[in-house]
Amino acid sequence: MTPLLRYATVLTCDPHLAQDVVQEVLLRAQQKWDRIGSVDLPHAYVKRMVTNEYLSWRRRRAAKDVALCMTTLESVTPPVGDTTHHYDEREAMLQRIAKLPRKQRAAIVLRYYENYEDSEIAQMLGCAEGTVRSHISRALATLRMDHTPEPAGVGLRLGEGLS
Amino acid sequence: MNDTEQLVKDALGKLAERTPHPGPTLNALRRKRKRHRNVFMIAAAGMAAVAVLIFAGVIASDRYSPPSGNDAAAALMPNNGQSIALRYAPHWLPDGFVENFRGTHEQVSRAWVPKGAKGYPFDDGGPAVIIGTSAEMPDTNGWDSVTVRGLKAWARTGAGQSRDATAHVVWKAQDILNVEVRGVPDARTVALRVAESVRADPKLTHQPAFKLDGRFADHMWGTKPGEWESMTNWRNQVSVHVSPVAPALAGESYPIRVRGKDGFRTGNTVSVLDGGAWIWASAESYSDLVLEAVNKVELVPSPDTSWIGSGLRS
Repeated sequence: MTPLLRYATVLTCDPHLAQDVVQEVLLRAQQKWDRIGSVDLPHAYVKRMVTNEYLSWRRRRAAKDVALCMTTLESVTPPVGDTTHHYDEREAMLQRIAKLPRKQRAAIVLRYYENYEDSEIAQMLGCAEGTVRSHISRALATLRMDHTPEPAGVGLRLGEGLS
Repeated sequence: MNDTEQLVKDALGKLAERTPHPGPTLNALRRKRKRHRNVFMIAAAGMAAVAVLIFAGVIASDRYSPPSGNDAAAALMPNNGQSIALRYAPHWLPDGFVENFRGTHEQVSRAWVPKGAKGYPFDDGGPAVIIGTSAEMPDTNGWDSVTVRGLKAWARTGAGQSRDATAHVVWKAQDILNVEVRGVPDARTVALRVAESVRADPKLTHQPAFKLDGRFADHMWGTKPGEWESMTNWRNQVSVHVSPVAPALAGESYPIRVRGKDGFRTGNTVSVLDGGAWIWASAESYSDLVLEAVNKVELVPSPDTSWIGSGLRS
């Protein structure tokens, strides 16, 4: 279960949401296990369920989806303190990633965290490889554009990241 | 990879460090399962799902650390250790082929031969289809690249014991799987067709005829449900067998008391009839271990032998 939770945490940028998503998916997986257990790669199948659950979850909960802030993450598992600098570039990048539209974020996670090829990402997201390249290209452009550091605690505002 | 991409990678890695402990999620799953009407079915399926996910996850992806031996053992022993998971089944075989052999020593191996053929041990070069799992990929250098159900696979055809060519296909699904076909025309085509038909089946189990030191016998073969033999090697010294058919032993026999019954010692073999099953053990040289092995055999009351001599089952 830990690899699934880890993937969901990176995908959602929210450990609480990751727990909810994984829990929901595993409950459904249990009920359909006869079918899932007989596919060639059940782990990949369930991972795809997590991805789809995250994408649809955010659609369902768009109206009440508020603030993703770093303190939420840190309240679950406090990060190891960086003694060298008060501002961590990675924290700023995480906040920028958290603001990406959901499919762009999923494509970024699959490419740079899971090291998937375009074809694998396309299969996971149910889209064409060209669309995957477009998602990643746009996401990287957005992430490059915004290099201004933001203070920790600034989160996802209502309605953002839902395209 | 440019700076932005590297920073994205680092940031995601940092985020992964904040993965919550799975405990609360597992507890929540248990609570929700309790509320479900069909508690038993869901719990069993849930445990199977989690076990297979953990097992398959770490096996199917090299992005995760390797599984512990306990995980693998647990995945092979569902039903509280009452049977062995076979995990895979073919759904196409050449006409007239029936199952003749199951091996479950660490990896699973199953064999089908034409009805009435000799079968195990497959040393006559006769037609056979053998499907199994492997601990690791063989060296596929020089093999042909093919696909099996969309997955990358490798095939080769070469000379084997059979007069005709022997074909091998290997691929990685949840586990590394291999198919060997020999003694049939166009063995490669047949092997690929068999491989295409192989499906995972988490419900498929095997129940051997006996246990020794708490471990199931790991070889079983036969020609029909009433004519079979189950065997294991004990302590790498003693070969232990159970069968409804008396062993063919050469030489003079002497009475010996074993399992509280009158048995026989014939050369380096001790045998006894117990509850309708013949139990015997042999070693290269006779020692008390041979007698001890027969005494320690735990017979399974009703071993599943219905698969022996059967073709594909619906």
